[in-house]
Amino acid sequence: MKILIADDSRVMRQIVTRTLRQAGFSGHELIEAADGREAHDLVIAQKPDLVLSDWNMPEMTGIEVLRALRAGGVDVPFGFVTSEGTDEMRKMAEEAGALFLITKPFTADNFTDVLGPILG
Amino acid sequence: MTSPTIDDLQAITEQVWLSYLDPEGVTPFLPSEQGPGMPCVIATVSVTGAWDGHVVMSFSQKASRLSASALLGMEEEEVSVDDVADAVGELVNVIGGNVKSLLPDGSLLSLPHVATIDEGVNKWPAAVEVCRLQGSWQNEPIAITVLTSKSSG
Repeated sequence: MKILIADDSRVMRQIVTRTLRQAGFSGHELIEAADGREAHDLVIAQKPDLVLSDWNMPEMTGIEVLRALRAGGVDVPFGFVTSEGTDEMRKMAEEAGALFLITKPFTADNFTDVLGPILG
Repeated sequence: MTSPTIDDLQAITEQVWLSYLDPEGVTPFLPSEQGPGMPCVIATVSVTGAWDGHVVMSFSQKASRLSASALLGMEEEEVSVDDVADAVGELVNVIGGNVKSLLPDGSLLSLPHVATIDEGVNKWPAAVEVCRLQGSWQNEPIAITVLTSKSSG
């Protein structure tokens, strides 16, 4: 599978990559975006099988990326990895078509539980 | 209106350390009376909307480099200024996001701002302190402060 990791922090992209490996999801092709606009454009250009996106990013927020993709007819599986996990944001994410919302700080166990059914 | 407490900060900080900075549980953050002096590195996020205020982390310069080293899995002497800014910015983003989850719906979290202060004071004239957790990690001081705007007090 091709997985897009979108986060404006290089540190966090690296932590997500490491946590995927620790959770047993090695061997997938990983691509990265450093802001929301780049994430949106990479989804269009590279057609990943899954997007793991931060919420709060420059250029476009994660929720704006998701809404723009869905408005354009792109139904890539999309989940948030974000420091903000309020009920309000979970509801907003779900209504926009997100599959899940993982809150930071996360552990490999969190990734296993949430991503296991998707990545197998 | 419910405000975050030092117990909330302690619980959030413990989770962040166990997830990212001390996953083996051997170098925990230890609360103490001593916070960072000058020079220091500060990382802040602002919350606006239903609640207005700031979450501020301050680090001794060595603590900021140790944080980048731990998060990136690099030796301390290998980390760059940009690595440090990214690392402490992400730490305050994670802690700020968790603080925001304790606040009323309808608030927005800003992107992080990071600065190094060589001397003088770090002053927030329009804000008052809600709670502050300070202590040390690997014998280097770190403090986390929640401030609220006087107008929304």
